[in-house]
Amino acid sequence: MRLSDLCLACALSAAPLAADELTIVSWGGAYEAAQRQAIIEPFAEDTGHDIEVDVYDGTWTALAERGPAEGWDVIDMLADQARVACASGLLLRLDPGALFSSEALADFTPVRPDRCSVPQNAYARVMAFDDRAFAGVKPTRIEDVFDTARFPGPRAIQRSPDGILEWALLAEGVPPEQVYGLLSTDRGLRLAFRKLDTIRDDIVWWDDPAEPAQMLRDGRAVMAAGFNGRFFDLAQNGRVPIDIVWDGRIIGIEVWAIAAATDAPDAARNFITHATEAASMARFAARIPYGPTRRSAFDRIGLNPDTGVPMRAYLPNAPQHGGRALVQDSSWYANTEELRQRRFRIWLDADE
Amino acid sequence: MARDPNTETAPLLWRVLVLTGIALVVGSAASLAAVALVELVTLLNTGLLVAPKARVQWESLPWLVAMTTILVPTLGGLIVGLVHRHLSPAGRPLGPPDVIEAVQFHKPLPGLRSGLISTGTAALSLGAGASVGQYGPMVYLGAIFGGFARRLRLGVPNLASIAIGCGVAAAISSAFNAPIAGVLFAHEVVLRHYATRAFAPVTVASVTGYVVANVIFERPALFRIESHGIAHGFEFALIAALGLLVALGAIVFMRLLLALGPPLARWIKRPELRTAMAGLAVGLTALALPDVLGIGTSTLRFATIDGAFGLGEVVVLIVAKTVLTALCIGAGFSGGAFSPSLLIGSLIGVFFWTVASGIVGLPSSGAAIYAICGMMGFASAVIGAPLTCILIVFELTRNYDVTIAAMVAVVFSNLVSHRAFGRSLFDVQLARRGIDFSLGRGHAHLAALRVADYLQAHAVTATEDDTPSDVANRLHEHGWREAFVLDRDDSLLGVFTPAAHGDIGDVEAGTVEARLIFKDTTDLAEAMERLRGFVGDAVPVVSGESGKYLGAVSEADLISAWLDESARLRKEENASI
Repeated sequence: MRLSDLCLACALSAAPLAADELTIVSWGGAYEAAQRQAIIEPFAEDTGHDIEVDVYDGTWTALAERGPAEGWDVIDMLADQARVACASGLLLRLDPGALFSSEALADFTPVRPDRCSVPQNAYARVMAFDDRAFAGVKPTRIEDVFDTARFPGPRAIQRSPDGILEWALLAEGVPPEQVYGLLSTDRGLRLAFRKLDTIRDDIVWWDDPAEPAQMLRDGRAVMAAGFNGRFFDLAQNGRVPIDIVWDGRIIGIEVWAIAAATDAPDAARNFITHATEAASMARFAARIPYGPTRRSAFDRIGLNPDTGVPMRAYLPNAPQHGGRALVQDSSWYANTEELRQRRFRIWLDADE
Repeated sequence: MARDPNTETAPLLWRVLVLTGIALVVGSAASLAAVALVELVTLLNTGLLVAPKARVQWESLPWLVAMTTILVPTLGGLIVGLVHRHLSPAGRPLGPPDVIEAVQFHKPLPGLRSGLISTGTAALSLGAGASVGQYGPMVYLGAIFGGFARRLRLGVPNLASIAIGCGVAAAISSAFNAPIAGVLFAHEVVLRHYATRAFAPVTVASVTGYVVANVIFERPALFRIESHGIAHGFEFALIAALGLLVALGAIVFMRLLLALGPPLARWIKRPELRTAMAGLAVGLTALALPDVLGIGTSTLRFATIDGAFGLGEVVVLIVAKTVLTALCIGAGFSGGAFSPSLLIGSLIGVFFWTVASGIVGLPSSGAAIYAICGMMGFASAVIGAPLTCILIVFELTRNYDVTIAAMVAVVFSNLVSHRAFGRSLFDVQLARRGIDFSLGRGHAHLAALRVADYLQAHAVTATEDDTPSDVANRLHEHGWREAFVLDRDDSLLGVFTPAAHGDIGDVEAGTVEARLIFKDTTDLAEAMERLRGFVGDAVPVVSGESGKYLGAVSEADLISAWLDESARLRKEENASI
C-alpha cells in the first residue's frame, strides 16, 4: 500500500462530510447509461453524494454559456475541446501529481493527465466493411480502402476532411508519427487529395455518424468510415455482418474536467480519481466499446453484462489489434479546421 | 613469460572494470544529451514556427508566418554569430574534425566552454531553421562527455580517445536507432582502428545509448523507412549509376561548402552579419520553398513517396538546398553537413527515379529505394563512412535487399568522390589544417612530428675563420665527424669534415654544400623519405623563414623516433584490453 493510496482512501472516506451535491455533465444515450452503471452509481454508493447528471452537446461554448448558471461541476469532454476550454480559463487547474501516484500516471496511455483534464476513455474512427461483400480475401489494411481493384464497391465516407486525409497518407506509407507533420504542408495535402482522387468515383458521402453502419447494412456501401461504437452496436444488436479494419484507426480521447466555477472542487476531484481507476474504466468498457486510458484496465475487461460478448476485442485501443494506430492530435485539429475544410471543399468542387 | 600471474590479473581486471564503467557512463550521458538536443530543437522549431506543423496552425495569419520565416533565421544567425564572437574562446562552431584531431593525436578537445557554446549555438541554428544538420553537433556533444575521461588517471592507455569514441558511438546509436552503425561510425571516422581495447567499450557504449534512447524513453527513430525490396535485377545497374551521380553532387556540395567561407569573410567583415545574411537567404528562399528550412524531416519523408515532387521542383530544391547549406556552414552557423546530405542525396535519388521511370519509362521498385540509395551514397561520400551508411540503412529498414542496393550506391559513390575529392569532407577540412590522413593514420601521425623537436644539443658548428685543427678537436671531443659551417648571421654555409681535408689551411676551402638540409617545418614522415641514401651522422635544420641554422638532428635519433611512433601506433591498434 503506497502512501498516496492511503491519502486517497482518507480523502474518499472524508468526502461525504465536505459536499453533498455534484453535477456531472455528459452526452446522454447509451454512453451515459454505461457511465451511470459503471462509474457514477458505484461512486454515489461509496460516498453518499447526491449526483445529478446533465446532458450537453460537447462544445466548450456550451460550458461557457450554461456551466456557471446550472452549477456544473464535472464535465465529460473531447480532448481538443478541453484544451480550448482550459486555455480560456473555463476549467479548474488540476495537479496530476497530487491526484495520482507516479505509477498511476505512468499507467495512463496514450496520453497522461494534464493541467486541466484526466483521460477517461478512447474511441476510434475506423474503416468497417460488409463481410458479405468480400467472400474471399477481406480488407485488413487501410491501403485496401484505396484498392478498388481487389476490393471493388462503394465506400461510405464522411463529407469532411476528418480522418480520410490521415488515411490517404498512411496508405502512401507515411508512419503514423509523421502524418500530422506532413499534412501540415501544402505538398502533404496535395498528396492526400491525389490519393483520394483514386477512389473519387467510389465514394458515397454521409453526414450523420449513424449513417455509415446503416449504409453497410442496406448494401449502399461495402466499406464505411465511421466510429467504432456505432459499428459495434449494429453488429451486436442488429446482427449485421460488419467487421472492422483496425489498421489505421484514429484514436480520439475523452477526458474528465472540472468547471472553474464549481462549488465542490474536492468532491469533483474525488469523483475523477474514482472514475479513472482501472476498475471503473474496465466496468465502463465492458458495457460500451470505448477503451480504457490506463494499461492496467485492459486486464480486467470481461464480458458485456447484457449480451455476454467478450468486449476486449472491440475496444479501439486494445493492444491485440496490432496494425497502425494514430492518436488524433487535438490541438492541430482545432487550429487547422478552417484550412482543411477549405481545401476539402475545393477538392469536392473540382469534381463537379 | 616468467611474470607472476597474480600481478597481471589485478590490473587486467581493473582495466576491464574501468573500460566498462566508462562505456556505461559515457554511453548513457551522451545518449541523454543527444535526446535532449533533439527535444530542444523540436521545441524551438515549434515555438519559432519553423516546423510545418506549427506554421500551419497560424495559417490564418499569413503575414505572421511570412515575418517569422524571414526574421527567425536572420535573428538566429545574428545571435549565433555574436555568441561565437564574444563568448566562445574558439570563436567558431566545433564539429567532427575537432573530435578526430583530438582522438588521433591524444590531444584535449578544444575547451569545454567552446564546446558547450558550440552545442548551444547548434541548437539555436537548428531551432531557427538554418540549413544545417544535427548529427555533427551530436557527435561533438558525445565527444565532450568522453573528453572528461582525460582528467582521470586510471592506468588504461589511450583512455581519453576510447572514451570519446564511446560518446560518439552512443550519440549516433541513439539518434538513428542504429547501435551497429554507431559502433562502426566511431571506428571508421573517429578512431580509425579496430583494437579490441577500443572496440569492446565502444560497442558497450553504443548499446547503452540505444537502450537509453529507444528502450527506456521509447523514442521513435528519426527516420523510419519501410520498403518491399528490389523488384527487377537490372535496377542494381541503375543504382550503380545513381551512385556515380550522387558522387558528383556530393563533390559539388563539398567544394562549394569549402569555397564559400573565405570570400564571405572578405566581403562581410563582421562574423555576426555573415550568419545573419545566410539566415536571411534561408528565410527569403523559404517564403517560396519552405522545404529548405531546418533539417527537412518532412521533405525527407516526401522523397520516399512516388510522385511527391515534379521534375522541375526537385531540381530547384536540390540546387537551393545545396547552395543554402554551403552558405549557412560557410558563414558560420553551427551545425553539421550530414542531415542536409541525407536530404540532397535523397532528392537526387528522386530526380534519378523520375527520369528513369517517368521519362525513360523503365519499370522500377518505386521512388523510396532510389531515395534511400541516393541518400546514403551522397552522405557516405561526405562523411567518408561507407560501412556506417550501409549499416544505417540495414538498421532502419531491416531489409536485406534494400541494404544491398544501398551498398552498391555507396560503393560507386565513394569510388568517385574519394578519387576526385578526398576521403571525406572532414579529412579535407583537416588537411587544410595541415593534418593529412590521405595516406592513412600512420603517415598522419609521423607527419605530425617535427624533426626540429629532435635537435642534438652537441652538434658542432664552426665559422670560416676557425682553424681546421680547432674544429677537428671540438668534433673529436663530442664524437662527431662533421661540423656545420655558419656565417656571421648564423646562416648555414655548408659542412666541414676535417678528416677528408687534413692538409687544407682553412675551413672555408674545405666547406662543401650540405647534401641534405631540413627546415623547421619538415616532419618525420618527409624526413624519413629524404633520408634514403643519405650518408653522414647528422642533418642540419634551418629556419624556413630566416634561413638561420637551428641545430642538427642525428640520423639515429630520427630512426629511433620513427620506430617509437610506429611501435606506439601498433600497440594502440592491436591492444587487447
